[in-house]
Amino acid sequence: MSYFRITLHRSAIGLPKRTRGVLAALGLHRRSQVVFHPVEAQFAGMIMKVKELVKVEEVDRALSKRELQDSRKPPAGFYVERAVDRIRTGPSSSPLLKAALEAQQPQQQSQTQAEEVRL
Amino acid sequence: MFGPFRITNSLSGGLLWKIPWRLSPTQKARQRKRLRAVDQVVETLSNALAKKGETLKALERWKAEMPTEAQMLPRDKYTMFDRKAKRYRKGIHKLPKWTRVSQRINPPGF
Repeated sequence: MSYFRITLHRSAIGLPKRTRGVLAALGLHRRSQVVFHPVEAQFAGMIMKVKELVKVEEVDRALSKRELQDSRKPPAGFYVERAVDRIRTGPSSSPLLKAALEAQQPQQQSQTQAEEVRL
Repeated sequence: MFGPFRITNSLSGGLLWKIPWRLSPTQKARQRKRLRAVDQVVETLSNALAKKGETLKALERWKAEMPTEAQMLPRDKYTMFDRKAKRYRKGIHKLPKWTRVSQRINPPGF
């Protein structure tokens, strides 16, 4: 289902009440506000009434208010690293990797033993 | 020369039109841009409805009657009919709210 993405580009100050009513019916109250309406003749007719004031695009889905806000945000400039899932070993995994993991395991065991001793 | 009762064009009784009688080149460029923006909206609507197989009377009528920006003559882009004006034309910027209303065609015979 596709939607009209309607942006109020020009204000309706001083225009007839009918025009302002159409904008209110579309849910547009301030300039550069964005609303989404399904592609139907009913909404197309409303857009025709205010075609000089709005910018219209056809989009596949309607964005939520949160998504719209996020799309306007500048990039944060940093990112938080997340722990990556460990590589699972199995019979199909490469022998090199297996060997490397086996080499690591005794070290870990020795480390845990050392910690126990400290305690 | 200075002070509240200085002689200015408007105080000396003359009629002074401050609105230029024609548009400047930049005003004309912006006018073309606005015309194209409206064409774009109409095109988007008609494409979207055509995909669904729907029609809209207002849309069909607009497409049948109104020329697009490229089809319009410069005369119609920047001036409009006025029965009181000399040679029946006046600058389109004399039309109230002219940047937010559509004015593209002339009455029959003009």
